[in-house]
Amino acid sequence: MPIVTIDGTTYEYEGDQKLLQFCLNQGIELPHFCYHPAMSIPANCRQCLVKVGMPKKDRETGEVELDDDGDPVIQFFPQLQASCTIDLQDGMVVETHRTSEEVEDAQTDNLEFLLANHPLDCPICDQAGHCPLQIQAYKYGPEGSRFEFRKVHKPKRVKLGPRVTLDAERCINCTRCTRFTDEISGSGQLSITNRGVKNYPMTAPGEEFDDPYSMNTIDICPVGALTSTDFRFKARIWEMSSTPSITTTNATGANCHYWVRDNQVLRITPRQNMKVNEYWLPDEDRLVYNKFNDNRPDGPHIRRDGTLAGANWQQAFAKAAALLGSADPERILFLGSAHATVEDNYLLTQLADAVGADAPRYIPHIEPGAGDDWLITDDKTPNAEGCERLGIQPIDEQLVGTRLAEGAYDLVYVLEDDPVGSGLCSADDLADTDVVLHYYNTTNETLPRATAALPAAMVVETVGTYVNQDGRAQRVRPAKEIQGVNRTLMMEMGTNREDEHGTPFDRWHNDENRINCKPSWEILPEVAKKLGEDLDYPKGPKQVMDEVQSTLEAFEGATYDAMGLKGTQLEDVEAGAAA
Amino acid sequence: MSSFDIQRPIVELPDQNPDPEFSDEELVWTDAEEEKIEAWKEQYPEDQAAIMKVLWLAQEKFGYLPPEVIKFCGETLDMSFSQAYGVATFYHQYYKEEKGTYVLDVCTCFSCQVCGGYDILHYLEEKLGVHAGETTDDGLFTVQEAECLGSCGSAPMMEITNGVYVHNLTPEKIDDLIESLRAGEVPSFTSMTLPQDEEELGGNRRTDVESTETYQTQPRAEHME
Amino acid sequence: MEANGTPQSPAGDWRSYERMLLPPIQDLHKLDVYTKHGGYERLRRVLEDDDVAPDDITNEVKASGLTGRGGAGFPTGVKWTFMPEPDDRPRFLGVNGDESEPGTFKDRQVMEYNPHLMFEGILLAGYAMHIDTAYVYTRGEYTDWIALMAEQLENAYEAGYVGEDILGSDFSMDIVLHKGAGAYICGEETSLMESLEGKRGYPRYKPPFPAQKGIFSCPTTINNVETLAHVPLIVQEGGDAYSTIGAEDMPGAALYGMSGHVKQPGVYEYPTGMLLSDLIYDVCGGMARGEDLKAVVPGGSSVPPIRADQIDGLSMNDESLGEVGSRTGTFCPLVLDEETDMVSFTRRVAHFYQDETCGQCTPCREGTGWLENILARIDEGEGRMRDIDLILELCDNMDGGRTICAFADGAVGPIRAAVKRFRDEFEAKCEASVYPVSTDVSAGPDSAVAATE
Repeated sequence: MPIVTIDGTTYEYEGDQKLLQFCLNQGIELPHFCYHPAMSIPANCRQCLVKVGMPKKDRETGEVELDDDGDPVIQFFPQLQASCTIDLQDGMVVETHRTSEEVEDAQTDNLEFLLANHPLDCPICDQAGHCPLQIQAYKYGPEGSRFEFRKVHKPKRVKLGPRVTLDAERCINCTRCTRFTDEISGSGQLSITNRGVKNYPMTAPGEEFDDPYSMNTIDICPVGALTSTDFRFKARIWEMSSTPSITTTNATGANCHYWVRDNQVLRITPRQNMKVNEYWLPDEDRLVYNKFNDNRPDGPHIRRDGTLAGANWQQAFAKAAALLGSADPERILFLGSAHATVEDNYLLTQLADAVGADAPRYIPHIEPGAGDDWLITDDKTPNAEGCERLGIQPIDEQLVGTRLAEGAYDLVYVLEDDPVGSGLCSADDLADTDVVLHYYNTTNETLPRATAALPAAMVVETVGTYVNQDGRAQRVRPAKEIQGVNRTLMMEMGTNREDEHGTPFDRWHNDENRINCKPSWEILPEVAKKLGEDLDYPKGPKQVMDEVQSTLEAFEGATYDAMGLKGTQLEDVEAGAAA
Repeated sequence: MSSFDIQRPIVELPDQNPDPEFSDEELVWTDAEEEKIEAWKEQYPEDQAAIMKVLWLAQEKFGYLPPEVIKFCGETLDMSFSQAYGVATFYHQYYKEEKGTYVLDVCTCFSCQVCGGYDILHYLEEKLGVHAGETTDDGLFTVQEAECLGSCGSAPMMEITNGVYVHNLTPEKIDDLIESLRAGEVPSFTSMTLPQDEEELGGNRRTDVESTETYQTQPRAEHME
Repeated sequence: MEANGTPQSPAGDWRSYERMLLPPIQDLHKLDVYTKHGGYERLRRVLEDDDVAPDDITNEVKASGLTGRGGAGFPTGVKWTFMPEPDDRPRFLGVNGDESEPGTFKDRQVMEYNPHLMFEGILLAGYAMHIDTAYVYTRGEYTDWIALMAEQLENAYEAGYVGEDILGSDFSMDIVLHKGAGAYICGEETSLMESLEGKRGYPRYKPPFPAQKGIFSCPTTINNVETLAHVPLIVQEGGDAYSTIGAEDMPGAALYGMSGHVKQPGVYEYPTGMLLSDLIYDVCGGMARGEDLKAVVPGGSSVPPIRADQIDGLSMNDESLGEVGSRTGTFCPLVLDEETDMVSFTRRVAHFYQDETCGQCTPCREGTGWLENILARIDEGEGRMRDIDLILELCDNMDGGRTICAFADGAVGPIRAAVKRFRDEFEAKCEASVYPVSTDVSAGPDSAVAATE
């Protein structure tokens, strides 16, 4: 196998590879700004310079020349090379800043140039704290600047579009954003304008940067030139904790981080998963974080004398159980949910089975034409595939709608959905029907008709599994705390760097904004218990999922350990063959 | 009191929504122009390569390139507006804002600098009452400082509106030039004969041009002394 | 051959040299005059003679030792051999007529006075390298000369010298004129290719070299206008014979574009290797106002200037100029007399590069402006002694592969040389530094010369 020697350590490699990416793969840090593995290589930031040499070959024989010790004589290129553009070759010898003073100096010099016209306004910059320029300037840059002139001024606070704000003075012209719109999203909305030190990325005059993926440019911007209009000045990066999870806006199951301060989700950013969303996240997945913070319920409510009134959880469980116990099982409609986790839907199936009702069905939320063949799908739910694999079929909306209107059901048990809001039936249709509702937000239109309203934990507050449209099972983790102590949730939150070195803003330390709700996997067994049914999973959703994956072929292998942070691909199953 | 205002950018963004100078009805190619553009497209493997020619054509047609014209040019070649805009702003000779009838590009790059390029520029600035980069009130002249125009042997010199070169400038020559431009007469092309031709061809290398000059001893820059 | 004790010139007996690129023929730019004087005969011979294979032309050019006349001086024939074997991809010739290097004005004379020689050279090069299309990239300022070339090109098309099945052979080639729009960087070969493709003229990094992936990712060779005009002469004279003209290391004819403080500036054609002293005092009739010589910039802004006391025996070939750390560049010497303020001159050089940098690479984008700022400060009498060494250090930090293309090298070469060679002038304008770093911040932005905006 061909070899390459980097700072005296020899590595084997396979195939065609670029030196910078190879180093990064090996954990060898090389400072860089413009290089991004998903896009073309412009080599314009000039930060990743290294010294590169090849074994000297005799011109006549083509044999590698050896020195007195029998080692190959290395002939270095006279000039430093941008490692992002260098193709690995067998026998290549590389010196980085760790072993070459020349390289170290070049990297320092380059940072001095980069900072010459940079405004150095880190204290008021949103990027501070996770800014590649800031970090690398501290690490590799000069201790001061010798630039004693007025900096070049450029437009600041420019609303490029509805979601992205530009500060052109901070820009280092790495062209990542323009390459993104040219090569990745294909909208071509950004271009570098002007020339020389006056250039900066911009939309054409009068054009809006309204690319549905525009906010990815914020993530890949290595400085604070592009910031989120929505998130600007809301929180410092070090005040927040981030939790790896997935988005639930659609059926892609894009991997993301939820950023939380004071138990409120403040922003959502992409998390790399080459099998799902690669590095990207559509804007619509990001700007939904308010639903986790606003209009959240305050504990369970049950209907007394025609009005919904607050109750404690035990009363609510008892009420739900009483309704289930007293209704004719054939006149109960169980609605599963493509918004809810596999575990919750599975428990609902168990409950329906226990009371002798028909298997649950789910309400599909399809918006034909909304998808784009990339990360946005027509299906606006994250777990329709999971439901199908559990044997939960989509309802026949017309049929069920009519039957609801006819009063064919005594009780509708809704798991984390909104039959009225989704247009399945009208509120009036439910006038004579009892409704048990697990719900997220007080804006749920079925809520006024609920007989027992049980606030359910949302994706950022629970533990569970979603299966995306491609059959990839992925876990979600609690990003923020809810009221009440749940050992499983506590365990799942675990401790990470932010927590160990936590600040008062961290999710752990703050009692503010904790929602009085429970995950459905806690509610459903409690309701079952009141019915005298045993739906006991003392180890929580992990145990539920273990059972699901061992009993249902469609979920085989999807243990929590196997899913880890990146999920696991489930075997294809014939439609309808599941369960 | 500081004049700094946090709400007001130090550098204003170029107007992002300027009122279009040209209406949609005006933004059309004539048949002859269409034909030209089609022929240009044929010259390259990809249509986009013709953008520089199309921008030139548009500048000749509309005088300058406001955003709507750049957009129109881009559309002609199926380029996105921002791509076309990026190209138009990279090249100095595309006028992104309206200029005077005559754009006087005075070369001040060092070959002309040492031979009085700035003297000519300053003379012109004083004469017309504008600074380099500005247009006279009557809209007739824009004076600009240009980088090397590739006529160092006949320094100091200038180019008029991306077209004809005027060589071996002197204040007197400037006076005459301004006068004739005011009268609407643009100097014709001048052929610069090689010094060696003076002996061998009597300084008359081309018989098909009206005006022939030869390189002459260059003045020395006053401002550099 | 001089008998009066001056060093022997590598240009040989230049006084009796007969011009080849721009021979003294009236109206040579017209097709009929050109053909009457043997024009397109070399092309016809090559196309009609079955014994002349494309590679033979490349070999002749190689044997001639012709070097590129666009500034870098790379051996032309060697460059041609970089072209891969023909495959199903189209192949292009980029003819570099951008001529934006300050101080350079000789390609324009070829375009005006002998365009058909250039076209014939293009066609011969095209035949040698199996090229389908040549793009003549001419700077946008040359409007009148582009019009002239267009007219002559049309004549050549009509006469069957260009286009389909040239002169009845099965060789076809198109020549397309492409007008630039004012960007010096587009004279850099990879930037020229980007510009031809209708993009912003950002240079590309190499490898891949143009021969592998050039215009539209197809095999491409880029040659200067004058370089190609030499090709018919080489085919006519034979490579070996041609290689005996002028200096050994870069033989052939050369167009010397003389400017600055000489009595008779202009474009002269002589063999390469002319002594600078011959060019200044003999060809150009000496210094304009009888003042002493101070410096010579031998070939465009990107080559380091030479001090007057260094020019003894120096001739216009790289071997000779290399002895004083300079190059022939574009063969267009700028002559400066004793009165010239070198600080002001260097400041203007820096301004040019600041104005023309494409802004892609960090060191060049930021460094050119920084250098201009410092030089402006010194020129205005506000400089500090430490500024001088800072200039030299910034120069070192910008060149030698720190950027994608050679623009930064071209920018710092002359500045570094000027500061080193005329340091006393810079020092005379500087004040001693009291503090190691600037402490004069109280005066605000007015304390320094305004940055470019």
